[in-house]
Amino acid sequence: MAEGFTIALAGNPNSGKSTIFNSLTGGRQHVGNWPGKTVEKKEGIWRHDGRDIRVVDLPGTYSLAAYSLEEVIARDYIVHERPQVVVSVVDAANLERNLYLAVQILELGADLVIALNMSDTAESRGYKIDIAKLSEGLGGIPVVPTVASRGLGIEELKEKIIQAARSQPRRTAEV
Amino acid sequence: MTTHDMTYPRKGQPLVDYGREIETEIAKLYDLIEAEDIRVDHYPHRWLAIKLLEEDADVRERVASARGGAELLQAAEKSVNHLRNIYGDDVDIIITDRRYGFITGLVKEVVERPPVTRRILSDRIDTIVTHRLLGIPIFVAMMWLLFKVTTDIAAPYMDWLDEVITGPFSHWAERFLNLINSPDWLVALALDGIIAGVGGVMVFIPLLLFLYFFIALLEDTGYLARAAFVMDRLMHRLGLHGKSFIPMLIGFGCTVPAIYATRTLESRRDRLLTALLCPFMSCGARLPVYVLFAAALFASHQDIVLISMYLLGVALAILTGIVFRYTIFRGKPTSPFVMELPPYRLPTIRGLATHMWERSSAFIRKAGVYIFAAAVVVWFLLNMPWGVDDQRDSWFGHTGATISHVFEPTGFGDWESSGALVTGLVAKEVVVSTMSEIYVGGVEEEGEEEFPSTPEEIGDIFEGGARAVRDSVKRVPALVPGVFQTAPDEETDLQAALKPVFSERAAVAFLVFVLLYVPCVATLAALGQEFGWSWAGFAAAYYTAVAWVAAFVVYQGAGLLGLG
Repeated sequence: MAEGFTIALAGNPNSGKSTIFNSLTGGRQHVGNWPGKTVEKKEGIWRHDGRDIRVVDLPGTYSLAAYSLEEVIARDYIVHERPQVVVSVVDAANLERNLYLAVQILELGADLVIALNMSDTAESRGYKIDIAKLSEGLGGIPVVPTVASRGLGIEELKEKIIQAARSQPRRTAEV
Repeated sequence: MTTHDMTYPRKGQPLVDYGREIETEIAKLYDLIEAEDIRVDHYPHRWLAIKLLEEDADVRERVASARGGAELLQAAEKSVNHLRNIYGDDVDIIITDRRYGFITGLVKEVVERPPVTRRILSDRIDTIVTHRLLGIPIFVAMMWLLFKVTTDIAAPYMDWLDEVITGPFSHWAERFLNLINSPDWLVALALDGIIAGVGGVMVFIPLLLFLYFFIALLEDTGYLARAAFVMDRLMHRLGLHGKSFIPMLIGFGCTVPAIYATRTLESRRDRLLTALLCPFMSCGARLPVYVLFAAALFASHQDIVLISMYLLGVALAILTGIVFRYTIFRGKPTSPFVMELPPYRLPTIRGLATHMWERSSAFIRKAGVYIFAAAVVVWFLLNMPWGVDDQRDSWFGHTGATISHVFEPTGFGDWESSGALVTGLVAKEVVVSTMSEIYVGGVEEEGEEEFPSTPEEIGDIFEGGARAVRDSVKRVPALVPGVFQTAPDEETDLQAALKPVFSERAAVAFLVFVLLYVPCVATLAALGQEFGWSWAGFAAAYYTAVAWVAAFVVYQGAGLLGLG
């Protein structure tokens, strides 16, 4: 694994993405704009084993079509900047709509880890989701259940992200 | 398990299956991108193809400025227009539907209490047709309706076509051949061989047009995807999953594409087991044989004979699946998968017509080439040694008589049936064309018939056509049981000829054998190509053995019970 790698966070607006971003990076954040765009770009550093991992918070979107600037930014970032791992934050309360984005990221060929976030609504509805089956249905990608608001599952999520990054073949420098 | 850079999960298989039509266009664009080595930033090729079909503005712009991009854009435009014609809707909407279909299927499998936030009409229909208990009865009812509607509505057109072929068309051919001073044998070959044989099968074209139309209707509305979902649990008992059901459904049209459709399954074990079960699904080519015998011998309860054949095929597929699962294909549980449940759509006339024509034209081509060839060969065999008086003494008759001993215990040990079954290996509808040559072509016309004049005959053709349309429309209300009783269909020469030859139980045993024995050489070739010739050989032996045993049980069983 090349030293110091980058991960990107993707997800619907209000999926719990910001909460997960905060718990990964703590206070080490930087807010700016996407180059040449008036869309806010949040970046942070996650310290892991004495190494700095760059965490980029992609704009919250529902899709990766070219209908909005946010969507184009998100998909261009995944394709061109090629973060080692994309973490898709999926709100369990709106599974279909959130998975719609995740499936498109998978179609883009990214290495995906899903943070299946049980928001308060999802919890109160008492959904039972078969995590293993969901993972296999999506082609065997890691799926980690989290309750971001209470900090649950974050450690496991971190572990899975590191594992995903490690098991990748080394990326050659691309022009 | 991690996915590799720029490839897709599931062992390189695409995650979402966008359906046959769209996948074909994706493959076209994909191949073009690969062949021309078109590079557009770092976009994966499949993704690029999908985005072009979605007419993604940003991607189109980028492609336009790439080397070879103009050509790709042109190809994409052609694909988009083609798809828009078929679906009557924008392609990106269909793609979105498909993607959501994948997700809906996935969520249905993984969530124990499905979300009830969005209950649109599609969901409501699904709660009924994919219901745990109602699902399978609804499916069986749909299939019954499919075949009932098909056979009832098509019957008047078949009668009409039969009249045209045996009447004016034969007369004209005979007059034309006499006019150019053709030798007698050529006239006989044309009338008793080709027209009786090929014509005997051509009569069934209306039947297949309607069958393929209704299958396309179920497919295009999205019901077939539900049927596969419903069958999922049953398929698990066979050690397969619901996805295997789709090739089997295709098998109701034709077995050959069904075997190729198994390629969408993931493991070789699943593909092979599914392919071996496909021939049990009664294909369109077998329907003419059923209809012929049902009309000849079971005029009052044709539907029951027809649907029984289909159900027997399905039942034996299930039985075979269970037997194979515990013998040849032991262990190895199948991988879980997601069944797509795309929302219901109103099919377009254009899409239905395209699908119907694709399948029907294949049948007509087959009739034009293979059945034509088979009819000519059968005619010669029936007339060899040259000038033989009685067909029984012909080469065909002798061969049939030798084989017929095998079929004595199953009730059809006559040389005619045995010979027809052998020729049926070419394609099952050849059983009909051969019988037509034997029973209709071989009969000497009594004396010189006085043909009606040509204008009179042309008038008859149109009049008959109009009558067929009227009759088939009149049959629609009769589909509701008890509303109307339709008059029995007119008996054709062939039906009349079969009546004294077969007892009822022999006829059923014969149909059972036709349903089950070696599908046709094309099916064996497909099996051989996909799985190797030893599997094709095994399949041929297995099907024939099952067919003989089943026919034996039916014939002897009915005898013991004092039926037929």
